[in-house]
Amino acid sequence: MKKTIVGFVISALVLASLAMWALKGRVSGNIQEIVMFGIVLVLVGFAVYLSVSRARSLRRGEPGEDELSRKVMTRASSLAYYISIYLWLFVMYVSDKTSLAAHSLIGAGILGMAVVFLFCWLGVKVFGMKNE
Amino acid sequence: MNNRIKELRARHDLSQLELARLVGVRRETIVFLEKGKYNPSLRLAHDIAKHFGLPIEEVFLFDDEAGREHGDGSARE
Repeated sequence: MKKTIVGFVISALVLASLAMWALKGRVSGNIQEIVMFGIVLVLVGFAVYLSVSRARSLRRGEPGEDELSRKVMTRASSLAYYISIYLWLFVMYVSDKTSLAAHSLIGAGILGMAVVFLFCWLGVKVFGMKNE
Repeated sequence: MNNRIKELRARHDLSQLELARLVGVRRETIVFLEKGKYNPSLRLAHDIAKHFGLPIEEVFLFDDEAGREHGDGSARE
């Protein structure tokens, strides 16, 4: 139950931060910011989905987490780590070729890692983990 | 590795959720097992087999050829 509550609280905090950022008028509305907003919203949606699914399981009398969900997370994490190494190599290449600020590149890299993890998680869920 | 969980569950008139509760996992895990998308831990395999009153090898069917294809046969050498 603790993990479910933590998931909801973190999602709410991220949404509140995004709302504050937008309301304070610091968003210029360029394509880069809109894409970043969209990615963060997708990631918050993913976190909310995980929390809701865990809460539903608990309500049905099942454990919130079991060996499959832990293995899916472990497998997705290891895949995402492996892919992220190449992602950071790509970010380094981009930093050489463009004049983007370092904080923008690091932010993009971190968001990219989260997106890679999301896709790895979906992949493991869809294809399963036979013979592992 | 194949398994007879779906068949045994029907024979015992159990839903996926009921079996999941009995062996202490989420319903999704039973779905994955029945679809052959996940190989359970020895502990879970033991619990499921015990629930149906059968030895593990009668619930989970090992395919020797498939095991070798995935490199699982090396332990026998």
